[in-house]
Amino acid sequence: MNNLMIRAEDVSKYYRLGVLSSGTLKEDIKNWWSGKWRQQTPAVTQHKNHIWALRNIHFEVNKGDVLGLIGKNGSGKSTLLKIISRITLPTGGRVRGNGRIASLLEVGTGFHSELTGRENIYLNGHIMGMKKKEIDRKFDEIVDFSGVERFLDTPVKRYSSGMYVRLAFAVAANLDPEILIIDEVLAVGDSEFQKKCLGKMKSVSGQEGKTILFVSHNMHALRNLCNRALLLEKGQIVASGDPEQVISQYLKSGEEQFLGNDYSLKPAMPGNEYIRVQKVELVPEYIQEHPFIDIRTPLRIKFEFWYDVEEPGDLMAGIHLFNFTGEFIFDLTSGRKTFQKGLLRGECLIPGNFLNDGSYYISIVFIRNATIRLFYLESCLSFDVEDYRENGSWYGKWPGIVRPDFPVTLSALSGA
Amino acid sequence: MDKNAGWQWEINANQGWFRFNLKEIYQYKDLIVQFVRRDLIASYQQTILGPLWVFLQPLLTTFVYFIIFSRVAKISTDHIPPMLFYLPGSIIWTFFSDGLTSTMFTFVQNAYIFNKVYFPRLIVPLSYVLFHSFRISIQLLLFIAVYVIFAIGGKDIHPNAYMLLIPVFIFITAAFALGCGLIVSVYTAKYRDLENMMQFLLRLFMFAAPVVYPASLIPEKYKLIFWLNPLTPVIESFRSAFFSHRPIPFFYLGISLISSIMVLLLGTVLFSRKEKQIMDVI
Repeated sequence: MNNLMIRAEDVSKYYRLGVLSSGTLKEDIKNWWSGKWRQQTPAVTQHKNHIWALRNIHFEVNKGDVLGLIGKNGSGKSTLLKIISRITLPTGGRVRGNGRIASLLEVGTGFHSELTGRENIYLNGHIMGMKKKEIDRKFDEIVDFSGVERFLDTPVKRYSSGMYVRLAFAVAANLDPEILIIDEVLAVGDSEFQKKCLGKMKSVSGQEGKTILFVSHNMHALRNLCNRALLLEKGQIVASGDPEQVISQYLKSGEEQFLGNDYSLKPAMPGNEYIRVQKVELVPEYIQEHPFIDIRTPLRIKFEFWYDVEEPGDLMAGIHLFNFTGEFIFDLTSGRKTFQKGLLRGECLIPGNFLNDGSYYISIVFIRNATIRLFYLESCLSFDVEDYRENGSWYGKWPGIVRPDFPVTLSALSGA
Repeated sequence: MDKNAGWQWEINANQGWFRFNLKEIYQYKDLIVQFVRRDLIASYQQTILGPLWVFLQPLLTTFVYFIIFSRVAKISTDHIPPMLFYLPGSIIWTFFSDGLTSTMFTFVQNAYIFNKVYFPRLIVPLSYVLFHSFRISIQLLLFIAVYVIFAIGGKDIHPNAYMLLIPVFIFITAAFALGCGLIVSVYTAKYRDLENMMQFLLRLFMFAAPVVYPASLIPEKYKLIFWLNPLTPVIESFRSAFFSHRPIPFFYLGISLISSIMVLLLGTVLFSRKEKQIMDVI
């Protein structure tokens, strides 16, 4: 008996960026004309504005597998899911498979805000490929799972976002496909509902023998759910197999390279006549056996620069930390101090258990006499902080800008 | 292991010209019904007059035509009472124009769904046209009501058995609108300039069909090209069926039927071929 559910062979996807998809007729006619004129066929690999979102992807998925797809943003995970979901075509190669696929690239696709919950269950179910009879049969189960029974005949525009997501996931969870494709849906909903979803996913794969393809940035959820994982990097598979190993390779891959910038190796150091920055570096103080940055890891930021001001006066340096949405997390400044011309070094320690998980970047500012900005080195260093949790069954994003480990205690004031 | 047999589906880069799959569309018939329902419910939400707009819209248009083209410009209405002359023209024209404008934005307006889930994309334009077909059916009832009122009021109007061709008229208009809409949708997705151009072209095209004037007004030397517009025989035949003032132009009606089916076929083939590539440019 053939247990294979999906086989991808040599799948590639190639996107055109910039000029060719500029969206105006004029540009395209211009391109077409110049192409004709030069008698050139657009050479695929030479074009500057083309990228390979996926390249030569091979993999197989067996019945009952829960396959986790891991990779940074832009590594091609979502493109791969889109190809398997038949939303976009591969440029080359093929994917073959058995069984009905349901893709959950988003919850509540096609929900219409003017329609009631009941009507949206049908609409969404049909969009996902269910027949009317199937939805009729599963209707009670869906309503039950969603817990929005009382609001079934209210237009969903009056729903809270939590209710909306619950209803949407409830439809998806009851789809009954042989292959379920899920893209980062666990990022939504409250903890109780997330538990319910993960439980559902586990039972779907375990007891019912369904096959799941699952993209997440949530290592905790991946570890718990997947029996296999694929690591994608720049559109290629760089590791596959046991999730634990693939996850640690993924986390390590970010850290192996030098974190920072050594400008002394480059033709020009950033700066001006007063300041020239030679090196900016992030040195994580890894916890044993965890060679990657997670929320517990203390981070040391080091920078070296040439100071070239003769006139008397003092110097102060500041480190600005931003998160990936551009929110200013903190502004740390050194004290004001007088220096001779020469090579100087700055250092700062961000303790562990302070930053929340996420992506960050820093900028460094050099200030003279507390008021004159000598130089501002913008986003010279970026890094990711991974999540870490001892235990617990909640997989959602930990809220908050920072995540300090201040003790919170509970104690009884009186007995029962 | 057998490498070639035993797979239920395959996804690859090949896009044949005739890949559209009517059986698959039939399997999704519940979705078509659901989309039509959604549009019906949603289109009159939060309006005071609600579904009454289905009637008001052609009545108001007809009234405007009556003032401008009959009273002010004094254009002939072929001896048909002006209100009764404009009403069918305006209903059929609006059906065509709404059918075309809704389908031509298929990709632009549904990109958020198309980007997240697969179903045969043709479902969406089909459901748009069905929605407008539903509307025109109701509007034709309105026309018949107005017609009866005029007849009771003593106007000299005589219908004939060709009224039974109404479904054919609706079909030709729907097929032509859908066909044009499918073709244009492929290009509006990529070139947004076309949206503005189409609004303009449509307005112009209205005057190329006998909506606000009778076909008898057209000079001899333009007759052939005028009658080759699939909408001309439809509107004229409709009037002939209700007013018996002229014979039904069967020859041109036949051509109109064939050409609109051809346009529909062309549109379907083009749409099916391009639907997946378009998702990468939207």
